[in-house]
Amino acid sequence: MACATKSLSPATLEAFGAELDALRARTVAKIGSEDARYIRRVVKVQRYFEVAGRVLLFASIFPPAWLLGTLLLGLAKILDNMEIGHNVMHGQYDWMRDPHLNGKTYEWDIAGTGDNWRKTHNFKHHTYTNVRGMDDDIGYGLLRLFPEQRWRPFYLAQPLVAIIFALAFEWGVAIQDLELGKYFAGRKSKAQMRAEWQPVARKMRRQIVKDYVIFPLLAGPFFLPVLAGNFVANIIRNLWTYTVIFCGHFTADVHLFPKSVVDNESRGHWYWRQILGSSNLRGGKLFHVMTGNLSHQIEHHLFPDIPAWRYEAIAREVREICGRYGIPYNTGRMSVQFSQVVWRILRHSLPSRPARLPSVTPLAA
Amino acid sequence: MTSLRRYLQPLVSPPVFDFWASRFSPAASWDRVLAKVVARRVESRDAVTLELRANRHFKGLRPGQHVNVTAEVGGARLTRSYSPSLLSADGRRLSITVRQVDGGKLSTQLCQNAQVGDVVELGAAFGDMTWTDTAPGSRLLLAAGSGITPMISLIRSAVTTGTALDVDLVYWARRRDELCFVDELRDLATRMPGLRCHFVLTRETELRDGEHAGRPNQELLLRLVPDLAHRQVFACGPDGFVETVRELLATRVAQFHSESFTPRTVLAAATGTVRVELTRSRRTFEIPAGMPLLAALESQGLRPAYGCRMGLCNTCACGKSAGSTQNVVDGSTDAEPTSALRICVNRAASDLILDL
Repeated sequence: MACATKSLSPATLEAFGAELDALRARTVAKIGSEDARYIRRVVKVQRYFEVAGRVLLFASIFPPAWLLGTLLLGLAKILDNMEIGHNVMHGQYDWMRDPHLNGKTYEWDIAGTGDNWRKTHNFKHHTYTNVRGMDDDIGYGLLRLFPEQRWRPFYLAQPLVAIIFALAFEWGVAIQDLELGKYFAGRKSKAQMRAEWQPVARKMRRQIVKDYVIFPLLAGPFFLPVLAGNFVANIIRNLWTYTVIFCGHFTADVHLFPKSVVDNESRGHWYWRQILGSSNLRGGKLFHVMTGNLSHQIEHHLFPDIPAWRYEAIAREVREICGRYGIPYNTGRMSVQFSQVVWRILRHSLPSRPARLPSVTPLAA
Repeated sequence: MTSLRRYLQPLVSPPVFDFWASRFSPAASWDRVLAKVVARRVESRDAVTLELRANRHFKGLRPGQHVNVTAEVGGARLTRSYSPSLLSADGRRLSITVRQVDGGKLSTQLCQNAQVGDVVELGAAFGDMTWTDTAPGSRLLLAAGSGITPMISLIRSAVTTGTALDVDLVYWARRRDELCFVDELRDLATRMPGLRCHFVLTRETELRDGEHAGRPNQELLLRLVPDLAHRQVFACGPDGFVETVRELLATRVAQFHSESFTPRTVLAAATGTVRVELTRSRRTFEIPAGMPLLAALESQGLRPAYGCRMGLCNTCACGKSAGSTQNVVDGSTDAEPTSALRICVNRAASDLILDL
C-alpha cells in the first residue's frame, strides 16, 4: 500500500535507528527478576484457568458449568498461545535459562508445532515483515489483502474463505510451512512433503487425542459435553488470535514492500519498515495481556525479543520518536482496526489496483 | 514404577507435571534433578555449607567428583560446579560447601540468600578426582581455597566405608578464618592413624600447632612429605595454584592428577578477529580470535548455555560444522567438524560455523 509517507534521508534514518537502539539498550538493562516474576505469574494463572476449565466441564450436567468451563479453557488456551507461547518462542525469556521457558524448545497447546512457528513466524515474518513474496503471513497464501497481490477468480469466495480460515485458524497455521501450494504446483517433491508432514501430523494427532478423546473419555457419561466444550474453547482461541493477528498487519494504512527493500537494508530502515508494516490496538491492561501484548505490534516488531509486558512502557517513547521523525504510528481501538481488516478482505476479493503513488521508499529522491 | 512411567510418557507434559507437582513437594519433577536445601551452616568466615536432599532422579556421584548446581539469581539461572560430600548411602543426601567469591553472583546467592526449603537443580556428576583402589602408593592431597571440597569428600567417604588411609593433606589458605572443616580434619587426624593434615597459611603472622607458612614450594613440600617422589598426587584449587604445583611436582611424583576452577587466560595471543556464523540463531558476529568462544559470544550480548566454564561438564558443547578451534587449556587444535565443541575453553582459530 503506497501512501504519502514523508521521505527520510539516510542520515535521518540513521539518527532514527540510533534513538531506537538507545531505547532498546535502556530497556534491556532493566530486564531481570521483575520479568521472571511476571511470566511465572502468567504461567500460574494459565495453569489454574486450564484446570478450572476442565474440571468445570466435567461437571457440565449443570449448564452454567459447561459455559464457564468452556470460557475458562478458551482463556487458558489464549494465554498459553499468546502471552506465554508466542513470546517465549521469541526467546524473550531465554535469558532466564529456564528449560520450561526455552524459546528453542517451547511447545504450545495448539495444532501447529513450535518448530514450524519458529521458522515461519520468528524468522520469515519478523525478518521480512510485509515484504511481498517473502513474508508468508501476507494472506497466508489464501487471502488477497493487498492490491499488489494478483487477483484470481478464487478470491471472489474470499469473504467465506476468510470466515472458515478464522474458525480453523490453528489448522491453517499448522500447515502453513508445508507450503501445499508449492507441492501441488509440482515445485516440491513427494519425499520432502512426506518428511515435512510427519512432525506436523504427530502434533495434530496429539492435540486431537488430548481434546477430543482423552479428556472426554475421562468425563465418562459427560463425553459429549466435554468434547463440545473443548471444541468451542479451541474455536474461541482461533477467532481471538485471528482477530488480533490480522489487526497487527492488515489495517487500512499498513504498507506492503517490494522484495528489493531488503537488499543492503540499514538498521534504521529495518526499524522504519517494521513500524510502517504494523498497527497497534488500544486498550486496557487486561486487554493487552489477553493479546499477548501483540496489541503493541509495532513495539513487538521493533524489539521481538524484549519481554512483551514491557512494550506498553516502551510505546510512549516509540510514539514520541516517530512523531519527531514524521513517521506514521498506526494505532486504534480494536473495533476500528478490525473493521479496516474486514474492509480489506471484502474489497480485495474483487479486482483492485495499487494506488498510483510514488513507490514507498524512505530515501529522498 | 518405571513401566508406568513409560506408558504415561506420551500423555505427560513435563512443564505441566512439574508445575503441579511443585505445589505439593517443591523438589518434585517429572524428569529434572532438583534438590531441596534441608540445612545450612556457616563453615568459615566466607564459606557456607548447604545440605541438600535430591529427588529420585539424582544418579549419585563418586567422592571427589563435581556436580553442576543451578540456582536463580535476579530471575536468571546460574550454574557452577561444586564437589559435594555424600551424607547418605542412597546418594540422595549431599552437602556442598560454597565459598563466597568477590563479585561471584551464584556464590553470593548461595552463601547469603539461600535458605532451608529453597530448591536448586543438579546436573550429572563429572570429573576424575576420584580414588581407584588399584592405584598403588600413598596419596598426597594438595588443596587451596575451595579446592578442599573434593578432598574432604574423598576423606569422609574413606572414613565412612572404613577404608584404611595413607594420606597427607596439605591445605592452603590466606588466613586461618578462611579454612574450612578444620575441626573435623583435626579430629579425623587424631582418630585415623593414616591421615595427616597440614594447614598452610600465607598471610597469618602467628602460627599455631599443625600450621605452616608459605606459598607452595619444593622445600616446604619436602619438609612436610619427605617421600614425595612415591606419592600419587591430587591437586585442586585456583589456576595459579594448580599451575605452580604442577610445575613443582608433575615430573617428580608417581602420579599427578589435578583440577582447577577458572579457565586459564589465553597464553598464545591470537590477534585479529574472526567471523562466527551461528546457524540456529541465524546471526553472524565478528569476534576477537584470542577469547574463548563462550566469553566472546557473551560480550556480543548472546547467552549460550554453559556450566562449568572449564571444559569439563559439556553443558556448553555445541556443533561446529566448519572452521578450526584451539583449546585454550591444553593448546590442542581441532580442524574437524564436531557435534560437541566446548565453547567455554575453545577459541576460534579461523572463521567458524556453529550450531547455536
